[in-house]
Amino acid sequence: MKSQLKTGAGVILTAIMLFPIYWMINVSFTKDTDMRHDPPHLFPFNGTLEGYRAVLHQQMPYLGTSLLVGLGTVILTVALSAPAGYSLAKLRPRGGGALSFVLLMAQMIPGIIMAMGFYAIYLKLGVLNSAAGLVLADSTIAVPFGVLIFTAFMSGIPSELINAAEIDGAGTFRTFWSVVLPVSRNAVVTVSLFAFLWAWSDFVFATTLDGGGNQQPITLGIYHYIGNNNQQWNAIMATAVIASIPATLLLILAQRYVAAGVTAGAVKD
Amino acid sequence: MTLSSRRGLRAIAALSVAVCLTAACSNDNSSSGDGSTAAGGGTYNIWDPYPQFDDSSDWVKLLAKCGTDAGVTVKRTGYDTTDLTNKALLAAQQGNSPDVLIVDNPVVSTLAEGGVLTTTDDTKVDTSAVEPNLLAAGQQDGKTYGIPIGANTLALYYNKKVLDAAKVDPATVKDWTSLTAALEKVKAAGKKGITFSAIGTEEGSFQFLPWFWGSGAQLTQLDSPQAVSALALWTDWLKKGYAPNSVLNNTQTTSWQEFATGDYAFSENGTWQLANAKKAGFEYGIIPIPSQAGGTAPAPTGGEFVTAPVQTDTKRYATTAKLVACLSSADNALTTDTTLSYVAATSAVQDKQVAANPDLKVWVEAVKAAKGRTSDNLGTKYPKISEPLWGAFQAALSGGKSPADALKAAQTTAASATK
Amino acid sequence: MTVASDLITRAAAAPAAPARAPRRRSPQWAAWLFLAPVVIYLIAFYAYPLYRNLDLSLRHYTVRSFVQGGAPFSGLDNYRTVVDNATFWPALLHTVLFTGISLIFQFAIGMALAVFFAQNFKLSATLRALFLVPWLLPLIVSASTWSWMLNSDSGVVNFALKSVGIDPVNWLTSPSWALTSVIIANVWIGIPFNLVVLYSGLQAIPSEVYEAAALDGATGWQRFWRVTFPLLRPVSAITLLLGLVYTLKVFDIIWIMTKGGPTDSSTTFATWSYKLSFGNLLPQFGPGAAVGNLLIIMALIFGLLYIRLQRRQSL
Repeated sequence: MKSQLKTGAGVILTAIMLFPIYWMINVSFTKDTDMRHDPPHLFPFNGTLEGYRAVLHQQMPYLGTSLLVGLGTVILTVALSAPAGYSLAKLRPRGGGALSFVLLMAQMIPGIIMAMGFYAIYLKLGVLNSAAGLVLADSTIAVPFGVLIFTAFMSGIPSELINAAEIDGAGTFRTFWSVVLPVSRNAVVTVSLFAFLWAWSDFVFATTLDGGGNQQPITLGIYHYIGNNNQQWNAIMATAVIASIPATLLLILAQRYVAAGVTAGAVKD
Repeated sequence: MTLSSRRGLRAIAALSVAVCLTAACSNDNSSSGDGSTAAGGGTYNIWDPYPQFDDSSDWVKLLAKCGTDAGVTVKRTGYDTTDLTNKALLAAQQGNSPDVLIVDNPVVSTLAEGGVLTTTDDTKVDTSAVEPNLLAAGQQDGKTYGIPIGANTLALYYNKKVLDAAKVDPATVKDWTSLTAALEKVKAAGKKGITFSAIGTEEGSFQFLPWFWGSGAQLTQLDSPQAVSALALWTDWLKKGYAPNSVLNNTQTTSWQEFATGDYAFSENGTWQLANAKKAGFEYGIIPIPSQAGGTAPAPTGGEFVTAPVQTDTKRYATTAKLVACLSSADNALTTDTTLSYVAATSAVQDKQVAANPDLKVWVEAVKAAKGRTSDNLGTKYPKISEPLWGAFQAALSGGKSPADALKAAQTTAASATK
Repeated sequence: MTVASDLITRAAAAPAAPARAPRRRSPQWAAWLFLAPVVIYLIAFYAYPLYRNLDLSLRHYTVRSFVQGGAPFSGLDNYRTVVDNATFWPALLHTVLFTGISLIFQFAIGMALAVFFAQNFKLSATLRALFLVPWLLPLIVSASTWSWMLNSDSGVVNFALKSVGIDPVNWLTSPSWALTSVIIANVWIGIPFNLVVLYSGLQAIPSEVYEAAALDGATGWQRFWRVTFPLLRPVSAITLLLGLVYTLKVFDIIWIMTKGGPTDSSTTFATWSYKLSFGNLLPQFGPGAAVGNLLIIMALIFGLLYIRLQRRQSL
């Protein structure tokens, strides 16, 4: 296939994949009265900016909280799972296999079950309705995954590298910190990215554990447009559009960073 | 070397726990509810199902003012209404209930059953002015567990232009036969008939009940011939194309959006859509939902109750009672009900509302004819009946079962659940 | 987005298989010190919720005893109630269908796209990044958008069908289509994850392997079946396993789009559990927790199966 042909095909595929996103944007400009128009308006002509006006006035604090929660989750997840991954991959703890299995199982527990249990713990710890509490809860989605990825990656690090560090007199921790961790940059980025995305789009934990108070994430911000008997769909969709901007930026940044790491592996066509 | 490495390790271990601990310390009092602990404290917690109102809204200002009048600070939290029940139960289980809880009326009996709520005797809240049919939703075994902040109910909105084009006079719609005849004419004129919400949740049951009750059926006997005729009415509308297939998945909001396109003749919807109706850009009118034989069908009451959850520290009730009284006082109720587009719960305030806005007259009458879902001392039996009921109309409307079969199955389920 | 070229390749071998290279043994205490944070974390944040859920499922809870305590122990009664319920078998079937079909399509489409995008044509990196945007949307938004598009009367999908002369379909409101509709939406949401992981797996395959295959005269399709696919097996296994984990517990999408209806035609264990505990005015915590636990047991069985398969492979 010619490269241009492939690009053409790629553009078409992407267009199909992103059609629902286009539709969301379309709805974000639609007037309340045209929401269920039959046939639907395919383009937001003669639309309204009402949705965006509402969002810009009300949603900024939620975006900030979401960003904070996302970053906090990333830090906590990496801090917990990188050492564990190293241990499982290289230090051969007795019972490590069982622990890996438990971690895998942990991943399978539906969030809603976790959330109910968390409520009681949080009440006692006093972290209900706080960004910190949400970081803790959101990290439960990502930590088992993180350990899995770190273990996988670190077991691929040549043992000679580690041995060399130890011959130089580095202790276990120092080896981890100044040799293993820097080499594992790709794994760190992967885990961070997943952790961030999961935290960013979490709703179950947010609604159970962070439903009140001033530190609410954007997924709950959206819920404010779903009133008792009334739903402002253009504002909901506008929030989603605006909410995906910072996440997209981050994604592009991470992509660049990672792409650099990957080309080191010299991929040829 | 080893020393430094161990120190570093400890740092990592510390970091992982510290994130939560420091947060716990810094966030403790300000954000978590402290209903049971801060006895003499000046902070009273109020939970409401109106997350759409932020701090600058009249509603939140009213809460703050009531707090100030009672000499305390009010901490208000707005939750999504479907969440509020669980949240209230969880909080009660952990001894962390708010002082004042505003909940949807059919939930009151569930919470009362769970021992979460105080009775109005405990808190000495005066409910004498409230219309009895509205108060009934909050009563169980002779005790009253709250006071309605306002009420809403269902009626039929119609689009004048569509009806004119189909040569239908809304005044002639008096019973089911004339309504169906009107829909037929509308369809013949190339427009769409009626939209409602038949979603498989409580919202769908809420919308079905006026037809169910309007046939003379009782919730204690879901498969009576009357009930079957009510469901057959809906099913036939769908079959003949008088109502869109999307009703199966419609919430009351989506069903309203369909009506707002201007293509539909009728929409079964509530008081709260009045403000939107004015924005819709076409002339509309409102008629009560007809019963099968004619006359106004009893519609279910909607709207929230102000309740006072049980506290370990009973000294708090005195102040709580002041807050409740303030929220339900005539002047404040007028403001609140206007904001929420509700009908007031006392006839004195209802009269004021009609004086200020004659459009509300039909709604006030509809509310007077309305009936609580948990009334007739059904209480917590109601949810066990409502769920099979919505299962039945979903099955019949989606073509899975005939109305009679669907209701028979529902009755079996409901009977065994309420035994 | 392709992270970690060879990392996921190894993920499959990781959990249970011992590391291959012979090495100096670190003291056990150091190994466990590194694990300590995660172990403490697991105990603190997983054990209690799980215990609680188990307890809920073994007692007869009413609203009153949920709040006031003192619910009587009822053994496996809740499980019996659940299994005897008319919803049980349909829900089990739908869970299997929903998970299985979603996985197959997510994986196949993700794989096809990964191979396609691995060819490094003009704009491929940008387009690949765009494919990930669906991932960024809160589920409540993507699910709502889908239910919007699939609306029987004013949805754009039926509009498109109508304009090419096909009869509209009652996507969300007909018992024969509801499950298909939620699967379509779930596949859409799952494609980015599969694309990312499989793409990074592809990047990890050394180009020499392809060159050798090309010298042997392998066509593109043969190259894929004989070279790429076998080499991707470990990555595929982990992708499918994680996919399984995430798909089994999907509930938001189904709940928002169909509420499990009409009449249970798209109910899975996850939505059923939610519906029992939270979907009604009167919560039934006991049976709800029981269904949740059955879901965990299902996941457990799949996890064990996976590990057995893996052991056999590494032998």
